Amino acid sequence: MSKDKEIKMITVTIDGKVCQAPYGKTILQIARENGIYIPTMCYLTKVKPIASCRMCVVEIEGVEGMILSCQEVATEGIHVTTNTPQLYTQRQNIMKLYDVNHPLECGVCDKSGECDLQNKTLEFNVATQNFTTREPHRTVENWGFISYDPALCIMCEKCVHVCNEIVGDESLAISVGGYKSTIVNKNLEDGCHECGECMSVCPVGALVSTHFKYSSNAWELTKIPAACSHCSSGCELSYEVKQDKIYRVTNNYEFSSLCGAGRFGYDFENRTNGKDEIDFNNALDAFAKADTIRFSATISNEEALILQRLKEAKGYKLVCDEAKGYQDFLKAYSSISGKSLYSGDLATIKSSKVIVVFGSMVDSDNPMVKYAISTASKQHRARVIYVHPIEDANLSNIVTQYIKYEVGSEEGVAALLAHALVDRDNLDEDTKAFLDNLDIGNLSAESNVGEEEIDALVQSLGKRKDFTLVVGADLYSHPRVENIAKLIALIEKYTSFDTVAIPPATNALGVALICELDNQVGEYTIGYNSRGDFTLSALGEGDLDMPSLNQQEGTFTTINKQVVPTNVALEYKGYILNDIASALGVKKQYTIDYTQELPIDKGYQGVAFDDLKIDFGINGEDLRGYRLQTHGVDSNSMLEEIAPLPTYDGLVLYRANSINQFSPFTHKAKELQSQEFLKGSNQFALAAKISDGDEVKFELDGIKYTRVFKIDTSMKGTVAINPTNDKGLSSTLVSSYRYAKLILDVQNK
Amino acid sequence: MSAVIFSTWRGEFIDNRGKSPDESSESGFKLPQNYHGDVTSKAFIGWDGVAIFQEDVDALRLATEYAAQYQVYSEACGRCAPGRWGGRILYDLLDKIARGEGSYADTDHLKEVSQTMMLTSKCEIGRTVPKPILDLMEHYWEQFRDAIEHQKPSKHYHDDIKYIAKVTAPCTDMCPALVDIPAYIEGVRDMQFGDSLVATRQTMPLAHTCGRVCPHPCEDACRRANLDEPISIMELKRLGADYETDHALPWQHPHPPKPLRNDGKKVAIIGAGPAGLSAAYYLALEGIKVDIFEELPVNGGEVAVGVPQYRMPIEKYQKDIDLVLELEAVDIYNNHRVDAERLKEIEEEYDATLLAFGARLSKAVRAKNERADMQGYWGAIAMLDKVNLWSKYGIGSPASNELKDKTVVCVGGGFTSMDVVRCSVREGAKKVIMLYRRDEKTIIQNTTYEEYHEAVEEGVEFIFHSAIEEIFDENNQLKKLLVNRFELMPDPEGGRPQLVKVEGGDFEIECDYLIPAVSQALDTHILPKEWGLAMTSWDSIQTNGKDYMTSRPGLFAAGDCEYGPMTIVNAVGQAKRAASVISRYIYDGKVTLLDDEIMEDHLARLKVYNKDEKVTGWMPGLPRMVSEKLSVQERIDNNREVNLGFTGEEALSEAQRCMRCYYISMVAV
Ligand SMILES: Cc1cc2nc3c(=O)[nH]c(=O)nc-3n(C[C@H](O)[C@H](O)[C@H](O)COP(=O)(O)OP(=O)(O)OC[C@H]3O[C@@H](n4cnc5c(N)ncnc54)[C@H](O)[C@@H]3O)c2cc1C
Ligand code: SF4
Ligand code: SF4
Ligand code: SF4
Ligand code: SF4
Ligand code: SF4
Ligand code: FES
Repeated sequence: MSKDKEIKMITVTIDGKVCQAPYGKTILQIARENGIYIPTMCYLTKVKPIASCRMCVVEIEGVEGMILSCQEVATEGIHVTTNTPQLYTQRQNIMKLYDVNHPLECGVCDKSGECDLQNKTLEFNVATQNFTTREPHRTVENWGFISYDPALCIMCEKCVHVCNEIVGDESLAISVGGYKSTIVNKNLEDGCHECGECMSVCPVGALVSTHFKYSSNAWELTKIPAACSHCSSGCELSYEVKQDKIYRVTNNYEFSSLCGAGRFGYDFENRTNGKDEIDFNNALDAFAKADTIRFSATISNEEALILQRLKEAKGYKLVCDEAKGYQDFLKAYSSISGKSLYSGDLATIKSSKVIVVFGSMVDSDNPMVKYAISTASKQHRARVIYVHPIEDANLSNIVTQYIKYEVGSEEGVAALLAHALVDRDNLDEDTKAFLDNLDIGNLSAESNVGEEEIDALVQSLGKRKDFTLVVGADLYSHPRVENIAKLIALIEKYTSFDTVAIPPATNALGVALICELDNQVGEYTIGYNSRGDFTLSALGEGDLDMPSLNQQEGTFTTINKQVVPTNVALEYKGYILNDIASALGVKKQYTIDYTQELPIDKGYQGVAFDDLKIDFGINGEDLRGYRLQTHGVDSNSMLEEIAPLPTYDGLVLYRANSINQFSPFTHKAKELQSQEFLKGSNQFALAAKISDGDEVKFELDGIKYTRVFKIDTSMKGTVAINPTNDKGLSSTLVSSYRYAKLILDVQNK
Repeated sequence: MSAVIFSTWRGEFIDNRGKSPDESSESGFKLPQNYHGDVTSKAFIGWDGVAIFQEDVDALRLATEYAAQYQVYSEACGRCAPGRWGGRILYDLLDKIARGEGSYADTDHLKEVSQTMMLTSKCEIGRTVPKPILDLMEHYWEQFRDAIEHQKPSKHYHDDIKYIAKVTAPCTDMCPALVDIPAYIEGVRDMQFGDSLVATRQTMPLAHTCGRVCPHPCEDACRRANLDEPISIMELKRLGADYETDHALPWQHPHPPKPLRNDGKKVAIIGAGPAGLSAAYYLALEGIKVDIFEELPVNGGEVAVGVPQYRMPIEKYQKDIDLVLELEAVDIYNNHRVDAERLKEIEEEYDATLLAFGARLSKAVRAKNERADMQGYWGAIAMLDKVNLWSKYGIGSPASNELKDKTVVCVGGGFTSMDVVRCSVREGAKKVIMLYRRDEKTIIQNTTYEEYHEAVEEGVEFIFHSAIEEIFDENNQLKKLLVNRFELMPDPEGGRPQLVKVEGGDFEIECDYLIPAVSQALDTHILPKEWGLAMTSWDSIQTNGKDYMTSRPGLFAAGDCEYGPMTIVNAVGQAKRAASVISRYIYDGKVTLLDDEIMEDHLARLKVYNKDEKVTGWMPGLPRMVSEKLSVQERIDNNREVNLGFTGEEALSEAQRCMRCYYISMVAV
């Protein structure tokens, strides 16, 4: 089906109800959209039809036999019957077959109460069992966070599909063996992201959280709908709580997904005993002295607004190392593109046929971006061009071209991309001259990106449509961020590429839009989740305790340019930022009173917190909160000459966290706790004269590190990866370029 | 050969039990009454019924064994609920009855499970397995009843009877390489493209190639056609291959290549075309040492130097070639022309030799004054060699030196001639004419609809029902042609219509080049005369078409040199079979077939596809996907690949149309 062809509307009648739908939808999709029930065991909305259970059969007038509604596309004028005695019998027989080998010892199963098999067994009244067969012996497997019980597995294959089609991991495979079939995890050692997607979609108790197992009955838990606070995707989730303790995280898995951090990193709360008045008064004294507030971007929009109001009222400088570069990027970007926001979002990526990723280690920087790319790769055979100094081997099954550039040469690479992609026809004279005068040979030599590599990228576009350029944090922290942003904006403006600029921290987009940020700290600094002369901390290591984000209500501004609400999962008894602000004269009763005052000129819509929705539509539309409005801005800024490209010879460190780690908050979560390493290639080890297991010391951005070095054989080159998530409050302090030259202080083992 | 005693095959009903020979009726189908050599069959049971060849057959055990085979199969599948558990239960219940422990309730449950399997299984195998079992239960009921009533085992329950089963599909059966089509389509459907490729490579190493230029005979036997339109089988093969290439994955072999045996045994292969490469692949996967001798500096045979870049990009074909040549057990010697003397040496030195040198001599059009040394007379194979060696490898010089602004006439009607005319267009010829003796319909049959249609779009002028009578030259430079016109006249006797020359219909064409592309012959000079190899009536090397051994022991032949000019997939299928036979021959000196191969041949005779079958349980009216092609302007003056292949969406919806028509059949001997 070509995109240009107009999509035809068809009329189908299901159980007498006349339904309209665009051609291409399956019978089941149309039925569900129209509120008509068809039983299924293997259907999962967010992936392509699996078609293993055969429960969804229906009858169609004039068509002999039973038709699989989950897979078959509806055609014009069909009359569908979803329930007849004959269909019922067949479905009941299938349920009997499902139950043949299933122990049905629901009393001891974790899934009891929320198990599809249990529900359907009841629904189809399978009280007695007239089919039997011998039972093969099966043992429970431990997959780390997850345990797999093959005896309970009904081989619906949902887990395999999410792992392949959503996560892009291809870790799970079907070990075919008829009634002895099982699911195997091929990548336990290496590759499986421990994201728990498979577990969340498992309709029975075959895949369960190792940690949660037997800890509580599902029906005793209270669901608190919230947004994940670990990265800028702000994924939908529910904290499941009993007696002031979070037992687990669940999500609307039918439509949306989570990464391991969101799913397993929920217990990062800051427990306090009550309001500590002495600390509070000390805080007020400190604010009186202070001229700067330095904060992390892991805060809500409302808190950001409180800080901005404090700035306006008291003249504080606002320093947010995590968001400043991003704000600079967005401003410069808008000054060329003429739009207040970048144009794409996760959905754009997911439906793209060509995706260029530039300057981000997406797999760990933003899992939902990686998921979206995976889906595009699997469902649309998207060409994925990964432009980065480190070829991330984890992505080889979705990347179609790696373009590796010299560390520091991002401005040159952006220029090469703009030069190759921008069509000269619609350009004004200046821009045209700028592009035509670029010294391509030189840029190519200096950045080490061959012209043939750029040609290959252009070839990838071919006759395809739907392109997205995804850019990330490497660019925001670059000294030449503004010109880089302008070059990216050229691509957005003059090509059919959409752009997504991944916000570098949970609410970096919110902070960048709400706060006027300053460059430098002054004499006396209040740190908020960041180090300062006086520190407010939700990590519990500061001068005044603050609630962490699972103890707060408010909103985040996500990568989707969406304002999403989150709720209090655990009560917080101490002081909060609003108490301080109120004491300083910036008064509101509740933090969420700020929600409707979020700046309208930045695209916020003035909706009150309590009016924000927090659910999904019947067809899986993410109805949480609202989308920011993009508006036009002046676009008369000029491009600058490309600065000489810096060189980074010798050993280089790249700042990136491991999978499922983002910040001190993920680091704090019990299930995610891990030791962080300095990871590098054999070549790096050789150049640094260190070997696997050596302890090394170094200092970067004023932070001292002592790390064990690990060789990662999938890596190449002399750039090693250094995480910061285990550095507590210091980890949010870095605003420097993501790569740094390394001077090592080697310790012997 | 035993007679048919009972048959329900494909809707026929024969029951000769207790009848005298002249009362007996005969089956209308080529049933495998004779298994192989002097082994006769007792019964044949399959998706479409059951046939019994001996009075004494134990029908209950036959049904049980068939269910057991299905269970074995479903153990290799297990992809749907009814099949996964239904197959097991079917077998358990039947075996219980056959053991003498069953009850009437068990037969009821059998029917119930059968019903659910037939109505809801994911593939045809689950839907068809119960049918012959129910047939046996109905028509041989007394055997079931006896076992239940007397609680005793069925009559031959403990006897040693051999049951040989084979899984196939209509499309697979028609594919000369017997590619497991439903499996590779399933891989696409599941977006497990690596699995898809592995499924293809079980019997077809050239996945890129046959995903692009195979004339897809399989699609003529696709059951989906009974419902709406056949699946686009050929193009779906490309996805797995492209996936491996796009992501620079390690080679996805059907199983890890076995280590080189180093037992002194070695096989020589003459020619590195599709046949030679395929045989090398399957021998080398088993760890058997293979040396390939190839005349040209480049590998791949006619697909490299014949099939043009715009249809089969060499970067892609080279992947298929490297897949084979990078195997440890394979060595290749290029620029190594094997002549009769050399062939004798090789044959002496190696444990077996496979001839796979193709058919690379252009045949003459048989016109008056036809001389190969005339300027402007240019054999198709030589012309395409020149075009391809230059455009793909930079060897030689561009053919546009010769063809630019010239008038080119090609005589043909098959693949080769299509490539000649379309290459001539791309080399800048002013006017390109194709002369063909027969009509448009036949040319489409010989090639493909797309191919013909694209040539027309590119401006090639087709003159049908025509043939050259005489060639005119000036000073040995070709100048013009005298062409006869023909007409298709119905045969008054009711036979095939005949081509009759139209009196006064002759006409002349002035031209610079005549490129004969009527057919190719093999270079028989390389076969030592003294061997006196048996040849076919069309002068290709003769084998029995089953084991591919020539009349000389230890000398095998496959591909175009065996069949005459044919297709890639034909060469692959023959070569794979030859490799299998060779892999045993070099150890025991015997020419043997595996049961699986014997069954393949039986099923091919019986014909798996039934165009009259009514397909139920699927939504009709879902159109076949068609991939996007470069427009004429985009392709006419360059070698860019014309077919852009399926987009992800197209591939998925096409794959979802496939009905997984697996069938299982079994012979009792
Ligand atoms: C122009 C053209 C287009 C075609 N298009 C299609 C198509 O679209 N689809 C399709 O299925 N089929 C097509 N065919 C047919 C297909 O190419 C052949 O059927 C197939 O290549 C046969 O494979 P083979 O290995 O038997 O022989 P070949 O491919 O001919 O390979 C024989 C090899 O042996 C080598 N050789 C020959 N003699 C000697 C010697 N004495 N010593 C050493 N080496 C030697 C040759 O150099 C060659 O490499 C086409 C054929 C032609 C000519
Ligand atoms: S945890 Fe995630 S990556 Fe691992 S197997 Fe499950 S879905 Fe795949
Ligand atoms: S583990 Fe769960 S999701 Fe996966 S196949 Fe089994 S039942 Fe389905
Ligand atoms: S960390 Fe990011 S991607 Fe993971 S669940 Fe949370 S918001 Fe989603
Ligand atoms: S529908 Fe699929 S399995 Fe059936 S014949 Fe066609 S290609 Fe083969
Ligand atoms: S190789 Fe050719 S005939 Fe065989 S399945 Fe593929 S397209 Fe069909
Ligand atoms: S929902 Fe259609 S087969 Fe499972």
